[in-house]
Amino acid sequence: MFWIKATTRFICAWRRPDEMAREVETELRFHIEMRTRANIEQGMRPDDAQRAALQSFGDFERVRNNCCQIRRSLPFDSTPLRMGLHITIAVLAGLAALWTVNVPHHNLTGVMRQLIAIAVLAYLFIVVRRARTKRRSDSEHMNGVLVAPSETFRANQSLTSDMSDAAPAKITAYDQQGRTPVERVFKS
Amino acid sequence: MPKSKGSLLQGTLDMLILKALSLGALHGYGVGQRIAQISGDALKIEEGSLYPGLYRLEQRGWIESEWDVSDNNQRAKFYKLTRAGRKQLIIEEQNWERLASATIKALRAV
Repeated sequence: MFWIKATTRFICAWRRPDEMAREVETELRFHIEMRTRANIEQGMRPDDAQRAALQSFGDFERVRNNCCQIRRSLPFDSTPLRMGLHITIAVLAGLAALWTVNVPHHNLTGVMRQLIAIAVLAYLFIVVRRARTKRRSDSEHMNGVLVAPSETFRANQSLTSDMSDAAPAKITAYDQQGRTPVERVFKS
Repeated sequence: MPKSKGSLLQGTLDMLILKALSLGALHGYGVGQRIAQISGDALKIEEGSLYPGLYRLEQRGWIESEWDVSDNNQRAKFYKLTRAGRKQLIIEEQNWERLASATIKALRAV
């Protein structure tokens, strides 16, 4: 059932992007309106209440774009798909290289084939480099979060695995004296 | 209250959303309210950052949404936890407890 819903959502997001964006916007505007009402109930003037609601919401455009981007993303982990694509490219590049070796280079066809093989190999090189760079940045990101203390325990692994491209959420934890966790550790 | 801010571990927001929705279906605004309520107003979330979190969780099949009418007769999108989401919440709670106890242990080390 989930797959049917997710696939339908994914197709709709690509087929009717305007409708999807409108839906996201309606949802976000509802939030701001609810916050404005709450502010008015607390005694603020309507203008001030709306301004405060917008301020506490954060960057509306950024949030809307993030939501639309998530909605347009594949409804499953695309890593195996990308790996398959990379393997296919590698096989094609290998075949192209073999083909080049077996062709005499003194005529136009031979030169053309050689150029094609070089182009495919260059593409493969770029793909591999990009994959390596991405992996390095991901591992740097994870190092910045936490290092797992044991083999079986990985801190919030499932939730943080694809956080590298997501906008970080701003959460602040205060204790009863209004101190943040860092302040509690260093100012106690 | 001091203005200085500290960030919690990434992924915390997603876990809090799952927790809030485990108590019943809510719209996005309600999720924020419930997180504040269950944390005794100790956690302040930038409200806009809730929505990418909600969309991400829905994309993973841990929550699902449908449009309905809110208490004030407005059209609103309500989210609820799925069975997969409930299982994930248990895993995340266990992970979080391990992390918290490991961190406390490390901080108390002499």
